[in-house]
Amino acid sequence: MAGRIFGMISCNYNDDSFGQLTAVRSVASMPFGGRYRLLDFALSNMMNSGIRTIGVVTPYQYRSILDHVGAGKEWSLDRKHGGLFLLPGSIYGPKGAHCSFMLRDIIKNMPFLERAKSDTILICGSSKVFNMDFRPMFAAHEAAGGGITMLYKKVNEATAKDALYLELEGDMVKSMTRETIGEANCFMDCFMIDRKLLLNFIDWYQNFSHIDMTEIMSENLESLPIHAYPFEGYLGQVNNISDYMRCSQDLLRLEVRQELFGGDAKIRTKIEDNPPAKYSAQAEVHNSLVPTGCVIEGTVENSILFRGVHVGPGAVVRNSVIMSKCVIQPGALLENVICDKFVKIGSGNKLSGTEARPLVIAKNSDI
Amino acid sequence: MRKKECIAMLLAGGQGSRLGALTSKIAKPAVAFGGKYRIIDFSLSNCVNSNIDTVGVLIQYRPLMLNSYLGTGAPWDLDEQEGGVFVLPPYATQEGGAWYSGTADSVLKNIDFIDSYNPEYVLIISGDHLYTMDYNRMLEFHKQNQAELTVSVIEVPLEEASRFGIITADPTGRIVKFSEKPAQPDSTLASMGIYIFDWPVLRSALQADAANEESEHDFGKNVIPMLLAQRRRLFAYAFSGYWRDVGTIDSYYEANMALLDENSEFDIFSNNANIYSNANIFPPHYVGEQAVVQNSLVCNGCTVLGEVRNSILSTEAYVGPGAKVEDSILLPGARVESGARVMRAIVGERAVVEVNAYFGSQDKEQPIAVVGDNEHVADDLWSGRY
Repeated sequence: MAGRIFGMISCNYNDDSFGQLTAVRSVASMPFGGRYRLLDFALSNMMNSGIRTIGVVTPYQYRSILDHVGAGKEWSLDRKHGGLFLLPGSIYGPKGAHCSFMLRDIIKNMPFLERAKSDTILICGSSKVFNMDFRPMFAAHEAAGGGITMLYKKVNEATAKDALYLELEGDMVKSMTRETIGEANCFMDCFMIDRKLLLNFIDWYQNFSHIDMTEIMSENLESLPIHAYPFEGYLGQVNNISDYMRCSQDLLRLEVRQELFGGDAKIRTKIEDNPPAKYSAQAEVHNSLVPTGCVIEGTVENSILFRGVHVGPGAVVRNSVIMSKCVIQPGALLENVICDKFVKIGSGNKLSGTEARPLVIAKNSDI
Repeated sequence: MRKKECIAMLLAGGQGSRLGALTSKIAKPAVAFGGKYRIIDFSLSNCVNSNIDTVGVLIQYRPLMLNSYLGTGAPWDLDEQEGGVFVLPPYATQEGGAWYSGTADSVLKNIDFIDSYNPEYVLIISGDHLYTMDYNRMLEFHKQNQAELTVSVIEVPLEEASRFGIITADPTGRIVKFSEKPAQPDSTLASMGIYIFDWPVLRSALQADAANEESEHDFGKNVIPMLLAQRRRLFAYAFSGYWRDVGTIDSYYEANMALLDENSEFDIFSNNANIYSNANIFPPHYVGEQAVVQNSLVCNGCTVLGEVRNSILSTEAYVGPGAKVEDSILLPGARVESGARVMRAIVGERAVVEVNAYFGSQDKEQPIAVVGDNEHVADDLWSGRY
């Protein structure tokens, strides 16, 4: 499959509904699951499916993406042929938690498309949490004669705001809507398209370059056969702060962890050389995820810690997400809190949000 | 090839036979240590942290794991365009083939490798020692003394001195006497097996040693005494700090457990320790609802559902519900199934202590129990319960 398909990941979108969390970063580089960033899932899925040429369309705030992805070493993308291409995005990406594939981002990177040696391109957003082998989807795409194949997941409740839902007839897309209720087929911001067709789109729409790829597809449903491909596994939708908390907590369920991280297809991320996590004799940890580099001297329950977090003696962390290098000093209490990176919570502070509305502490805060 | 001031030759061919089951399938430098490391990580990290970017790794005994672990050297930033890490096995020539017959012989057989970098100095280190050291300081010392060979030494207790190569030096640091494992040691300065040679001196010494049919081709036993007899400028560089050669199961166990000590001399936790390893890509470890984890080290990919105390859980270790692990080391991928109990034991890589099985003993007089890599400990239903 490697030679016949190449990938493109859109990171050029952002959303205000994450508050402070996305003030300094794009959704794609949001830390997730103790040591990952959201982008790792799309990137690793492509890599594990054998794709070795991947363009990443960078967002306006691209520092954290570049820092994280580097030359793509962790994803076997530092290659002589193909490999990782960091592609400039247009100045302002759209606001909205759901990925937008702006045509102008693609037009801007025409040489990448023109020079690619493969006939099919897999375009994917960067804010969905899932682990999937794209090879069967590619086989279905080819068996259907190419064109466009959209990836979707059947959900019981169409709750995600601004998501795109597909109405199907068999495996063909009949229409697309952003408003529906109840059981629905949620588009996973991921589709395969023949390179020639994509070049045609650019030709037809270059004067309307602000248009979204999904709008082009929607407008041309009559003339273009668009297939849909179902995804059966776990899908984490991270659309706002409470979603972020819920998806993080999902990782505490064995079956979710097993599916995302347990198989041979590993989710890869930037490697840091941290020592093992250290538990003191007083540590109390229950139902939590703890990566290397942490020092635990207090109590941690139902929480996700990131690398290098220090929980001091007598400190209590409950139902929370504590990002890299945070220090929770002795006696502090955190409940339903999301601490961005490098936060210091001083002794004796008691901070709490609610399950539905977790309290977010901005990066570098000293409280 | 661009000239290098100093390159390192890392001796990693030894079996470490006294580590028993731990080295039945892998060489001692490849044995897991401290949860997420392998022993060779420490000397490789020292090289990188001392800006030595060219390292020849001499291998012989069961090299598969070492080979695959070292890879391109990228995990230690040793994937260099000019230099990097080189795995150097014994090889055949037109005259036939032979194994490395001693530490000096292994370097002799790689003269071509060293010559290709035309270095001024060659650092000889061992791949099975635990320590952090800046070799630059030793090199400075070597240059200041215009030494031809500098041996790094450490103070050891007199009663242990007969296990080491013992050095007597004059007040300027010049070595006046070297005795390998003396029965009656008259000094407490032990050689750490870390040498810096002037390359021309080493080169000719290796050739002279090779011509000597009596020689065992060992640095400590043969090469250093020969150079000393020739009244060469040999100096002792005094190192203070943590240094261990974990030769036995007991010392391996103790060195691991010492990491749990708050005041451990061997600090792998501080921010500037910079110990690199060929890390895995496992998720953070999961600690279950009913789990207890206290005074322990736990690595990525682990799942702890039972109780873990005073123990080290290496990458991807598993402790099932109701299982208890105390004063033990679980090596990468080891599994302690539900209801099982492990005490004062080392559970090998991917080894399994089966459901309800008991392994090890609380009794401190008993030797540390070891189950080798991939082996299983079944519940025999008869062994005594604690």
